[in-house]
Amino acid sequence: MKTDKIKLKAVGITKIFDDGTHRITAIQDFNLEVRENEFTVIVGPSGCGKSTFLYLVAGFEKPTKGQIFLDGKLITGPGPDRGFVFQEPTLYPWKTVLGNVMFGLEIMGMPKQEAKNKAMKYITMVGLKGFENAYPHTLSGGMKQRVGIARALAYDPEVLLMDEPFGALDAQTRKVMQQELMRIWEKTKKTVIFVTHSVIEAVYLADTIVVMTARPGRIKGIIEVDLPRPRSYTDKRYLSIREKVLTLLEEEVTKSLELQRRTD
Amino acid sequence: MDFKVRLSRFLRFLFPLAVCLAVWELLAFFDILNPNLVSSPSRIIWKMYELVFPNPILLVYLGRSLYRLALGYALGAVFGISLGILMGMNRYLYWIASPVLSLLISIPTIAWVPLFLFTVGIGDETILLAIFLGCFFAIVYNTMNGIRSIKKELIWASQIMGADRKIIFLEVLLPGASVSIITGLRLAVGYSWRALVGAEMLASISGGIGRMIYAARAFNDVNTMFTGLIIIAVGGLLIDHLVLGWLEKKTIEKWGMVKKRE
Repeated sequence: MKTDKIKLKAVGITKIFDDGTHRITAIQDFNLEVRENEFTVIVGPSGCGKSTFLYLVAGFEKPTKGQIFLDGKLITGPGPDRGFVFQEPTLYPWKTVLGNVMFGLEIMGMPKQEAKNKAMKYITMVGLKGFENAYPHTLSGGMKQRVGIARALAYDPEVLLMDEPFGALDAQTRKVMQQELMRIWEKTKKTVIFVTHSVIEAVYLADTIVVMTARPGRIKGIIEVDLPRPRSYTDKRYLSIREKVLTLLEEEVTKSLELQRRTD
Repeated sequence: MDFKVRLSRFLRFLFPLAVCLAVWELLAFFDILNPNLVSSPSRIIWKMYELVFPNPILLVYLGRSLYRLALGYALGAVFGISLGILMGMNRYLYWIASPVLSLLISIPTIAWVPLFLFTVGIGDETILLAIFLGCFFAIVYNTMNGIRSIKKELIWASQIMGADRKIIFLEVLLPGASVSIITGLRLAVGYSWRALVGAEMLASISGGIGRMIYAARAFNDVNTMFTGLIIIAVGGLLIDHLVLGWLEKKTIEKWGMVKKRE
């Protein structure tokens, strides 16, 4: 499934937030290569800058140092070659489910009927057929995130960026969403960068797990997950990889806690 | 909504008013209230009749007032919303305009009128200007805050889909600030009514409800004054309910951005 073609390349990324009084180095000398069709999961302790990295890839923020290339092209700002699923469902309350999913296609200038058909395809794919005319406030958290995923996929971006998309969901819904995401991903074969702090989630989803250090975020280790899909949460090999990731993370979580204590 | 529910809601709203009117009428009927100083509901109704038949002066005045109100309000809304959005979008404009606005917003509109009488002169222009200012500040201020409180993720989400400034403006910022914009428009109805009546008293040369009240003073005609007051109260309520209530139902209520009003 994954090819050897490098889809996304981040070189020497450093991001410093400076509001005049505080200076925080969120990421330092971060290098990453993501192959085409690869499902990459970035895990790290909270505050390690993993979401910041995703924002840089999205072009919402600009790196202080370093460059990110998508298909060899330098990223300078947000653009439709990337899709983004936010931590909080960021739907437009004034648009219906269909309106939200169609929005990207309309911006592209696709004729209305064609855009509608295409949007319906993705709404069906995320299991929300029948809800296309509903407004977001009538949907549950899980359903909203499904719309978010459909919206990010509908205009067919090169890379899908997901920032802890299931973080706000309850445990049961979260599990269902992980399975659904795998099913959708098998269908679309997108290059995905997925950020989470859940190791269980990471090992279930990833081809490659990137473990980040506590702030400033660097790469602590990269773990290839070569398990067949659909994966089982109780499989022996699954558990052993989970253990490996946890060991790498543990040190960093301790460090990050210390860091928080010092800044509090 | 069910007709029965609507009716019962309407009656619930009307009941306290009816009680007040009844008490008022009784107090007037038994001469507890001095009829030279305070009118009564029945006398107001009779006055309204007199002011419409045979010569519909009341309707002419009401029409004139509503025309001024509509024009001044529309101008205030268009400029207010546009400038509010610009100020909300542009940091520098906000820095400059925000303190100025905070100062100007505290000036009662009526206090401007003598100045306008001096610069623009007596007549409709002064009244329109007063109404315009009366609603402009409330609308600018609320629109600006509405834009500034839009979550940046909502803007980012459109940018990553390739939205340009025009699309962001029309499809994200404008609806995103709609709750605040409608709040501003609502406040502005009240302010512009007040500005209208006040400015008409000082600057009208062609009638109007405010002018009518003011002129009645010269004839010790309390009934006409009270008629004017009642018309102003009911008019403001109707505009708020029918026009803005309708707008709210079609937009922010449907979108779940505010709770349905009980």
